[in-house]
Amino acid sequence: MGRIVRMGAGSGFWGDALDPAEELLERANLDYLCFDYLAELTMALLQRQKLKRPDAGYVPDAVQAMIALLPKAKAAGTRLISNGGGVNPRAAADRIAEGARQAGLAGARIALIEGDDMLGRLDALVAQGVPLRNLDTGDEDFSAIRDRVVCANVYTDSSGISEGLAGGADVVIAGRVSDNALYVGPLAHEFGWRRDAAHVDRYAAAVTLGHIVECAAGCSGGMSSRFSEMPHMGRVGFPILEVDETGDATITKLPGSGGRVDQWTVKEHLVYEIGDPRRYLMPDAVADFTSLTLNDEGQDRVRVSGMRGEPAPDQWKMVVGYQDGWIGETMAFFPWPNAYDRAVKARETLLERFERMGLAADQVHFDFVGLNTLHGPAAAFPGREWANELPEVGLRCAVRTRTQEEADKVRRAGTNLWIMGPGGTSFGTPMKPRPVIALWPTLIPRDAVQQKTEILVA
Amino acid sequence: MTLQVKDIAYVRSGDKGDVCSVGLVARGPREYAWLRASVTPADVKRIYGDWVRGEVECHSMDNIGAVVVVMRHALGGGATRTLRLDQTGKSLGYALMRLPVRSAETLS
Repeated sequence: MGRIVRMGAGSGFWGDALDPAEELLERANLDYLCFDYLAELTMALLQRQKLKRPDAGYVPDAVQAMIALLPKAKAAGTRLISNGGGVNPRAAADRIAEGARQAGLAGARIALIEGDDMLGRLDALVAQGVPLRNLDTGDEDFSAIRDRVVCANVYTDSSGISEGLAGGADVVIAGRVSDNALYVGPLAHEFGWRRDAAHVDRYAAAVTLGHIVECAAGCSGGMSSRFSEMPHMGRVGFPILEVDETGDATITKLPGSGGRVDQWTVKEHLVYEIGDPRRYLMPDAVADFTSLTLNDEGQDRVRVSGMRGEPAPDQWKMVVGYQDGWIGETMAFFPWPNAYDRAVKARETLLERFERMGLAADQVHFDFVGLNTLHGPAAAFPGREWANELPEVGLRCAVRTRTQEEADKVRRAGTNLWIMGPGGTSFGTPMKPRPVIALWPTLIPRDAVQQKTEILVA
Repeated sequence: MTLQVKDIAYVRSGDKGDVCSVGLVARGPREYAWLRASVTPADVKRIYGDWVRGEVECHSMDNIGAVVVVMRHALGGGATRTLRLDQTGKSLGYALMRLPVRSAETLS
């Protein structure tokens, strides 16, 4: 057997725990530890922060984590890779370099990956005749949202990460690279995979492996249908990948950590948030998830082999975020007896308040919490008599408006319910209106994207 | 006893824009055949009513015994725009666990 590259998942989203990553650094003897922080909405939130403060716009947790972990990582010979640069990877890289110096690690190398941010080039793309058609809706009129655009980022491939590693980086900090590029980049670098026909399946394998582990505990017992069989999820072990040159791999976790890795936890995550499993489209490759074989290989060890796929697509996905009005929301809860009837009466009262206030709403939505909040029409109504025997029922109202002022009427109407409402009306803290950033997913030619890699020395 | 999908499969549900993607993993080979027979686009459309407004595709994965259900215009405009509490459809797919199991042999 040839050389094995050992990689760990250090974060599955912005908000994940840091201690599993620390444990991996201390005990897993990793070559790489990879941290995903970005979701579709995150880029828009970060862009807003950057508008207020030009030195913001990265994921603060990511920078703190890289600084905190770097001494241990250097000691263990593990390199850290993250997309926590958000919309300002340069500022993130500067902070990390500064933190490294303060920790006595002068000379540490930080690779900065830029080039995914297309906000300043949208008009040029339109002028070049790129249609920017909305992939979700089919809408072709990009000009209708142009004035309200707040961010535009391309899901870029792993080439910048590989380049940074070739430049000797201890830490790689990127913006909107694809989640799985965090894992593809180190493998392509370590094994010297070229972008040619002979290596298509290897890139597809790396994309598949990245998909399986990029949500960290998502493949080691988190979010599981078998939740009751998953031990000690509060100290779950994040996944470890042991990958060989062919792209085949074993997925495992640290002995003694919580959770579980078996064929079922891996299957559960393989099918997570994908479209056609035969064509998992990523900037590095199109992976065919129906080609692989999974085998249990002993306790907390699953073998993944035989991945195949097709070459990287000519067009890459770009997500444009734009301002799209406001949402006002309110909630109240009602006690037995007749909790359901109380909630129905409160809904009637709220609608009367909206009318009196002259609420201008694009959409008004009600849920009966405990009955249909999660499944809507798919939750069969058990009947009024049954619903009235429930210990408690909630009423949730969410309204879409054009302006903040209109959305705030929903909060005020909800507050009016405190005394206008049925007996027993109870409530938490009123919710402030929130601005909506809608997403416009589209495609652009990959030639239009120029990734840039730069090495900063702390 | 009438089986439901919850008795033969595991589920994981999530979002991509306004698309809700639901992975159903059968608990064994026999269950996989039943699962494929029991979860069709028409069944999915019927159960969700106006909460799923677009096309539904059901993709089979013979290698792991799973069916991936892709539902378009299914999240009320997508995570950032929706008025629903479950903005990312993490629980939405669980409604498919209610579908009754059709035994593959009884299908024409």
